[in-house]
Amino acid sequence: MRGLLARRMKFHLLGAFLVSMGCAALYKFGVAEPRKQAYENFYRNYDPMKDFEAMKAAGVLESAPPN
Amino acid sequence: MANHSQLNFQDASSPIMEELMGFHDHALMVALAICSLVLYILTLMLTEKLSSNTVDAQAIELVWTILPAMVLITLALPSLRILYMMDEINEPDLTLKAIGHQWYWTYEYTDLKNLTFDSYMTPTTDLPLGHFRLLEVDHRVVVPMSSTVRVIVTADDVLHSWAVPTLGVKTDAIPGRLNQTSFLANRPGVYYGQCSEICGANHSFMPIVVEATPLANFESWSSSHPS
Repeated sequence: MRGLLARRMKFHLLGAFLVSMGCAALYKFGVAEPRKQAYENFYRNYDPMKDFEAMKAAGVLESAPPN
Repeated sequence: MANHSQLNFQDASSPIMEELMGFHDHALMVALAICSLVLYILTLMLTEKLSSNTVDAQAIELVWTILPAMVLITLALPSLRILYMMDEINEPDLTLKAIGHQWYWTYEYTDLKNLTFDSYMTPTTDLPLGHFRLLEVDHRVVVPMSSTVRVIVTADDVLHSWAVPTLGVKTDAIPGRLNQTSFLANRPGVYYGQCSEICGANHSFMPIVVEATPLANFESWSSSHPS
């Protein structure tokens, strides 16, 4: 019956550490990595001139009015 | 620009902003880990029925000194990396001056020709359909995309701040002082910002609009724009 608090605390401190690492891992692989991947995917085949022509045709650019 | 009720960053349009978003994810992950740890331990303490008469605990004291120091180092290293990256000598292709007034901006392109213009907010009553309220201006800052642009920011009267969130730029405009920043727009587009230092009654009504276009288009714009 000795060391009840110490045993409980050791167990839960480890549990707390695992929970916090779990939360961090969840954020990293649920938010941060998908965001990086989304940017990579966007720029992989990105054509700025095609984008510019689309914006010009839509008339959103002051310096490049549509023809 | 931000959508209504948007809480997160706008999409990054410059390499520095992409780095800053990555760092923000990293810092938020660390903050989440610490907060969940504290919440777990707090819940534990509040449901504790055992008692203790411990007077010293060297091991745990060592742990809760070393661990926070390591956390701080984990935050400091990427932060300093980005700070130094922002200050790299990058030989800009264009230098532009932004001068803050009450309550409009003046832009000067003096590299090749003496091009100067004022940029006032478009009043809501004059706003064309589909344009953004309190964000549009009469004359936009046109810059070449994929080129490093140096901006020298100052003010004529009171403090202002030249900010464009999507480019990761915010620089104070201080009377009597020239502050320098630089950015590189990855993509063509129209990027909005607002004055970010309280400057009087119309502080909220002096926005900034940067238009990034291909170099050829920028050159034809600057040659056709009257000085």
